[in-house]
Amino acid sequence: MAEMVRKSRVDEILNHWILAGSCILLSITGFAFLFHLEPVASVFGGFTTMATVHNWGGVVFGLSLLYSMRDYLKESLEYDADDLGWFKVAGGYLSHKVTVPPMGKYNPGQKLFYLAIVGAGIAIALSGFGIWLMKENTTVMLVSHIVHNVAFIIFVLAVPIHIYLGTLANPGTFQIMVNGMMPLSDAKKKHPKWMKAVGKM
Amino acid sequence: MTNHWIDLKNADVILAMGGNPASNHPISMKWIMRAREKGAKLICVDPRFSQTAAKADLYAPLRSGTDIAFLGGMINYILENNLYFNDYVLNYTNASFLVSPDFKGPADMDGLFSGYNAEKRNYDKKSWSFQMDENGIALKDPTLEDPNCVFQLLKKHYARYTVEKVVDITGTPKDKLLEVYKLFGSTGKPDRVGTNCYAMGWTQHTVGTQNIRAMTIIQVLLGNMGMAGGGINALRGEANVQGSTDQGLLFHILPGYNPTPNASLVDLATYIEKNTPTTKEPRSVNWWANRNKYITSYLKAIYGEAATKENDFGYSWLPKIDVGQNASWLMIFDKMFKGDFEGFFAWGQNPACSGANSNKTRQAMTKLKWLVNVNLWDNETGSFWRGPGMNPKDIQTEVFILPCCSSVEKEGSISNSGRWAQWRYKAVEPVGQSMPDAEIMNELYFKIKELYKKEGGAYPEPIMNLTWDYGDRDAAGKVKHIDIHAVAKEINGYFLEDVYDMKVEPPKLIGKKGDLVTSFPSLQADGTTSSGNWIYCNSYILKDGKEINMMARRGKDDPTGLGLFPGWSWAWPVNRRIIYNRASVNPQGEPWDPKRPLLKWNATKLNATTKTPGVWEGDVPDGPAPPMGTDGKLPFIMKSDGIASIFGPGLVEGPFPEHYEAMECPLEVNPMSKQRVNPTIKIFGDKMDASFSCDARYPFVCTTYRVSEHWQTGVMTRHCSWLLEMQPQNFVEMSVELAKDLKISNGETVIVSSGRGEIKTVAMVSERFKPFKIAGSTVHQVGIPWHFGWQFPEDGSGYDSVNLLTPNVGDANTMIPESKAFMVNVRKA
Amino acid sequence: MANDNTKNRKAILVTPEACIGCRACQVACKSWNQLPGIKTKNNGTYQNPPDLASAAFNIIQYNEVPSQENPVRWLFVSRRCMHCEDAGCMKICPSGALYRTAEGAVAYDRDKCIGCKLCVTACPFDVPRYDTDNKVTKCHLCFDRIAAAMHPACTKTCPTGALKYGDRDELIGTAKKEGFGTIYGEKDLDGLGTIYAFKDEPKLYGMKENPTIPSSVVFWHNYLKPLSVIGLGGVVAAAAIHYLAIGPHKEKEEEV
Repeated sequence: MAEMVRKSRVDEILNHWILAGSCILLSITGFAFLFHLEPVASVFGGFTTMATVHNWGGVVFGLSLLYSMRDYLKESLEYDADDLGWFKVAGGYLSHKVTVPPMGKYNPGQKLFYLAIVGAGIAIALSGFGIWLMKENTTVMLVSHIVHNVAFIIFVLAVPIHIYLGTLANPGTFQIMVNGMMPLSDAKKKHPKWMKAVGKM
Repeated sequence: MTNHWIDLKNADVILAMGGNPASNHPISMKWIMRAREKGAKLICVDPRFSQTAAKADLYAPLRSGTDIAFLGGMINYILENNLYFNDYVLNYTNASFLVSPDFKGPADMDGLFSGYNAEKRNYDKKSWSFQMDENGIALKDPTLEDPNCVFQLLKKHYARYTVEKVVDITGTPKDKLLEVYKLFGSTGKPDRVGTNCYAMGWTQHTVGTQNIRAMTIIQVLLGNMGMAGGGINALRGEANVQGSTDQGLLFHILPGYNPTPNASLVDLATYIEKNTPTTKEPRSVNWWANRNKYITSYLKAIYGEAATKENDFGYSWLPKIDVGQNASWLMIFDKMFKGDFEGFFAWGQNPACSGANSNKTRQAMTKLKWLVNVNLWDNETGSFWRGPGMNPKDIQTEVFILPCCSSVEKEGSISNSGRWAQWRYKAVEPVGQSMPDAEIMNELYFKIKELYKKEGGAYPEPIMNLTWDYGDRDAAGKVKHIDIHAVAKEINGYFLEDVYDMKVEPPKLIGKKGDLVTSFPSLQADGTTSSGNWIYCNSYILKDGKEINMMARRGKDDPTGLGLFPGWSWAWPVNRRIIYNRASVNPQGEPWDPKRPLLKWNATKLNATTKTPGVWEGDVPDGPAPPMGTDGKLPFIMKSDGIASIFGPGLVEGPFPEHYEAMECPLEVNPMSKQRVNPTIKIFGDKMDASFSCDARYPFVCTTYRVSEHWQTGVMTRHCSWLLEMQPQNFVEMSVELAKDLKISNGETVIVSSGRGEIKTVAMVSERFKPFKIAGSTVHQVGIPWHFGWQFPEDGSGYDSVNLLTPNVGDANTMIPESKAFMVNVRKA
Repeated sequence: MANDNTKNRKAILVTPEACIGCRACQVACKSWNQLPGIKTKNNGTYQNPPDLASAAFNIIQYNEVPSQENPVRWLFVSRRCMHCEDAGCMKICPSGALYRTAEGAVAYDRDKCIGCKLCVTACPFDVPRYDTDNKVTKCHLCFDRIAAAMHPACTKTCPTGALKYGDRDELIGTAKKEGFGTIYGEKDLDGLGTIYAFKDEPKLYGMKENPTIPSSVVFWHNYLKPLSVIGLGGVVAAAAIHYLAIGPHKEKEEEV
């Protein structure tokens, strides 16, 4: 068996699942509200209970998002010359022939994705609370409503790409979301700067 | 109403004065608005810019209590500008009659008429009579120029009501006043008709009856009486108040407007003689000549077989009032206050809130031994002993409450303002132990009868001999339940014997024994017919062997297009929809106004009953006689002389209405004369009867009124949360100017006080009230609805009744209290 | 936007000129809908309750405006849901609780209402209210009475014809023929279902000039809503194309 290296801690993995699960639940119920999808609502026992699920799902999502910042926020804000290089070759996704500059634990695509999720996540959560709890203030309600929906569009565009790249586009990646481990050899190839930083290279 | 609700749509000009139809009679507005759609003009004259004013084409304010000045000025205007309908006035009124040269009016006597007795506060009416020829027929001057003729006297009387004088008294802006006069005066043309709508704003004054008389004079001068779209129309504020008057609710009349006997009318013959008007005028129908038939049939209805010719048909069993006795509301409570009553049935009423000077009313009830409160709810009357200022420990009155049904929980008839008796059905079962009033009376009657049977009693006959055939009886002989149809049929009347018309040869059978009487011309004075109320004869008839309840008819045909709907319910008398309708045609029987032909004489058509040519087409005519000009009869058949009285000696304060100030008023002198108040009103002398005129402590004129949302003292409506939501609290409406003077802001709680009491209420400050300029100085007026009382809402948030403030002084003829003009103070709470 | 029943669209025509302020309409509405009485106080005006409420689907507004002729002009205006053709409340409702009836009115299904109150924000006329169960309430043009071939309770009880129910086109035609120059709501928001006949400026009667749905709601409804579906479809399609055209990362490449 090849030597493995731990990329994610157990709590990190768990939180990612919570974040992902709540996000998908919120998206499905969100779509159901947007288009009055009765069959979806009936799964939850009607629109009223679905609203409750959506609201509390939002709380879970928000907390989970906050928890995630502990691990990812700092790094997602740091960029270097290699990151610029990464963009120049589009991360190597448009051609398998180009050379991708050496990356740390996360590439700039991942870091920007995370920032988008944090930004849209905070917006959608706060506006969600606005709609949920500040019903007497029409301005808050209207602003919240539009913010919630704009943020939703960001999720709708970003999340499917994230899922694709984490599964089909990068075979083996999904493994990390299961047990947090990746082969050391892979890590050295993909994350040389990280490996160097932790002294494995 | 001489006319009826729907008929309002036929008018060209509608004068809403002394009432607020939009708020208090919304259905009348349905028809008024219909009239307006066709181009009619609505005039509203009211101290406040009311809901009716908001819909009016012309609004004129006036100070409360100055209606006669306003209307007197209109009479003057009509006469000065020759706006009156000459042919009508000449033929159908007493304008041409010559009055005794001894008659003197206020123009000569500084506010009084001839014959005044200051000590007795009444008039000897001897000089108020007509000059008669040798046949006993009034002398007339068809040129209307004789200085003693009614027309000239009228002119002289109202010449004093100049525009300037009227404006000085009423506070109405001169231009508005003239506009009203001009517009209403325009209905003096044959093809223009004006009507008027009034309510308590005219009646609840010390000159209430004369307010209406003044309007009557205008209506006959303009030829509007008897016309479709005309008449004198009291908008009744209760669905069945017309019915209650018809059925003798008031102390001075028996059912069918037969006078209550007094102690001097010792037997039936005397009663009939004294109460039957006579005339020598051959063209007068003088319908009251039939009094003997109606009173005898009434006695037969109530005493049945016990009433025989030998015992005067039980006339002596009828209760009698003393000669000159007034037994009206104010008198009853004055007597109660003095401890003259032991017990009191407050049946469907709430005197603790509805009686003028309610503090006196409430105190009066403490003197009772027992009080029976028959009502839908407990109210301020039933609970008077625990009301404000009462100490239950000191009050010995035992109070019983008998819960009764509302109108929708029982079957029966109601008679609306337009005299339509409409049958109504039970919609829901009575709540709890409540019973219809008739059932309560049934229980009481048999208990009382039993007591008389057991104990004898002072005078058992009136009770023991009463007929009470209103349904199946139990073993003890008690009627189990009242069959209301049996009551209705008794009111209509029966043939008690086979009755023949003896005037024809051979005598013709009019009615068979046991049959319902078809109509009042069939009633007899010999005891062979019964009728509980002659004017309701024809309301429940026998046709082709079947009994037909005419009041339950629901025919929707309107053959004349005037909205008479003769097949809908039934109107008294004999389904006549507009009273005095024979005045709507000229002496030849042609309608004055061909656009609105209420009646028309068809000289060629064969009369089905008499087989002679000539029939009236249209409404049921006031008598079948042919038109006056063709050997017929005068149109005003209920008047002994057959014509309308411009000179009307019937009322106590004079044959022409004269302006007197209200008992409490802001003026020290009446600008019209030395006589400040009506010289014939009764003044109560107790310390609880105080009144304060021109008193700095009570500087503002106050009036009372109703709102759409509540009814009377609010007992039925304050318990309905939907209505309370819209009008939760009593309020006092006042002008912005007055509020500014008193530093009162809109919506704040204030105290309104009069010489008799004070109430808390919410200030409603608005532009709808404006200060009046009266005799050179500013007079403020305020207004307060009278629907509230301390008992409900239970938290007292509605505030108490405005009748704690109103004075217990009444109209000189009817004793209706002067709740519409009195003096108050307003201060911050 | 136009519903299928535009031709048969029913409406209530309010003619304030004919209104006498008797408020029978307010009571009839409460009676038919069995709404509880509201504990109010007198605020120095006849208008009560002061505004529409969860238990008051219609009210008469008593407006006083200056007059040349009289002490004041006193105007009575019946207010209730306007039943907009372009209804902001229906647009924004996330559960489909607000719906269009066959007569073109905006009614609601209490069971579906989730109590989010978004409809309140989207209504140009400040109409929807919430009851104690946190469910939307408002005038529903008595769809239940209409289904039983009756007229709405308020129009049925109005004594003067200030409230009339009927075919919208006919009502407008008649009102114009009767000389009412302005039909408020004839064109606004694609045509209102509560229309007003005026001879004066509607502003005088306190009517809102040029009522519109909040622009954010319109933007959301017209662009964001479709974009959410198109966007989702787009990215899924892009991923599929990428997978087929370029394919997944080989050994030496890395994940994202």
